[in-house]
Amino acid sequence: MMDKKTATIDSRPQTMNRPSSIVHRPSFVKATLAIVQKDLSAEFRSFELISAMLVFSLLVIIIFNFALELDIKVRESVTSGVLWTTFAFAGTLGLNRSMSVEKDRGCMDGLLLAPVDRSVIYFGKAISNLIFMLIVEVIVLPVYSMLYNVNLFRLDLLGVILLGSIGYAAVGTLLSTMSAQTRTREVLLPILLFPVAMPVLLASVKACNGLLTGAEFSEVLTPLNLLIVYDVIFIAIAFMVFDFVVEE
Amino acid sequence: MLLETTPDTSGYMIAGYVFSFVVMGIYVFSMYLRNANLKRDAETLESLQAEEAKKASSPKKK
Amino acid sequence: MQNKPVLLTILDAASIIVLGIATYLALVFAPTEAVMGQVQRVFYFHIGTAWVGLLGFVIAAVAGVAYLITKDSRWDRFEVAAVEVSTVFFFITIVLGSIWARPAWNTWWTWDPRLTTAAITELIYIAYFMLRKGIEDPEKRARFGAVYTLLGGISAPITFMVIRLFRTIHPIVIGSANANQEKMSMTGDMKIAFFFGLFAFTVIFIDLIWHRIRLGSLEEKVEQLKLKVSM
Repeated sequence: MMDKKTATIDSRPQTMNRPSSIVHRPSFVKATLAIVQKDLSAEFRSFELISAMLVFSLLVIIIFNFALELDIKVRESVTSGVLWTTFAFAGTLGLNRSMSVEKDRGCMDGLLLAPVDRSVIYFGKAISNLIFMLIVEVIVLPVYSMLYNVNLFRLDLLGVILLGSIGYAAVGTLLSTMSAQTRTREVLLPILLFPVAMPVLLASVKACNGLLTGAEFSEVLTPLNLLIVYDVIFIAIAFMVFDFVVEE
Repeated sequence: MLLETTPDTSGYMIAGYVFSFVVMGIYVFSMYLRNANLKRDAETLESLQAEEAKKASSPKKK
Repeated sequence: MQNKPVLLTILDAASIIVLGIATYLALVFAPTEAVMGQVQRVFYFHIGTAWVGLLGFVIAAVAGVAYLITKDSRWDRFEVAAVEVSTVFFFITIVLGSIWARPAWNTWWTWDPRLTTAAITELIYIAYFMLRKGIEDPEKRARFGAVYTLLGGISAPITFMVIRLFRTIHPIVIGSANANQEKMSMTGDMKIAFFFGLFAFTVIFIDLIWHRIRLGSLEEKVEQLKLKVSM
């Protein structure tokens, strides 16, 4: 009885020709969390992605150290730039990997066949990408603090980094889904992503810089607002257009 | 008096206009070239198709 | 290939004529600017190309949305045409601005919001063509292209707002200006050249887009023929 009811309420066409009474349609949140859980448990078994992102981040920081001669004077003004460059590059690495794994192992087709809304797949992937980025950031920040003797573990700073990462993961997930289906794949993602994600990166750098140099809060507020606006707009758009980038 | 202080920047101006016209010219020419190539392709393909259709229709009907 | 419409031939001729008049107005008719000298004349084409460049990117985003809704490949051809023509014009805008900036600001380039946003926008649309090139299926290519123009069209203004937080020295020609910025003042004859430039580039823009759309349909036809023959 209940099953029949849910099936009739749901007017969307079923993806498979199974009798609709068998199809169990999980709630939006549950289904999203299931995808996140799948990604996380797969990752925590091997740590393939996170370890690659981490090692890469540390290497980038080391290169910056010598390229920019990060002495105490310079450090204060470039820290946020160095951090965000690192996060952006590491982020692309992770985004590329997490999507091409889905594609190569045919998981994407499986996900598409699942009786869930397409946007569930988007949010699931975006959240797990975000979590990977955050894990890397949470490890990189104390290491950077230690190496350069600046305290980066501040709540306001973490908040800005979280907002920036959300925007970056939101656009990145959408674009990596697209780039994974092209001929050039990995090469294409940064080219597609960086110009579109430019507002996130610049606003985050600006806000972090303001916080680190102890600027007045009103100065930080404008980039922060733009960051929030960007996050909201792009999550909404990605939510609306994701259907079009996974359609077969 | 004022004219004396005006710097002579006509070189830049000429460069700018020459550049604009060259780029527009190249673009229009590229469009023409692509159009010509595609037309030739279309003709070749059409004749190929016509040949195939003839071959297919004469010995046995497809 | 259908025959060339008469209207298009007329538009071709009109484009050439208005381009000639616009050049005349900009180079001869308009008075020489006192502070910057002759190089200021570059500005008439700079604004004209910038206008159609931006117009094209907005049109492309709208056409992208229309494609996603209707799935009609005509919208896709329109979108490609708009992006391609605009990319060319925008490139001219950037280089002309750079040529103007050299004597005016004593540098080829500054990281001013307008300049930076222009450069990033140009890169977005170059990325757009790279994206399209990487996809074989025409239907998928159109879909992804539409999504990307939409993203680009929305992110560009936000980029501009963000970079404005850093700094600006670009003169504001239209609209309200900050008090501390140099403002260009135009005399009557300059205004004529200015507005005619806008008009002329709009005509040329429409003409080129039309040609590019026709080229697009020819491309599609050849693609289909290839598919048929290879089967």
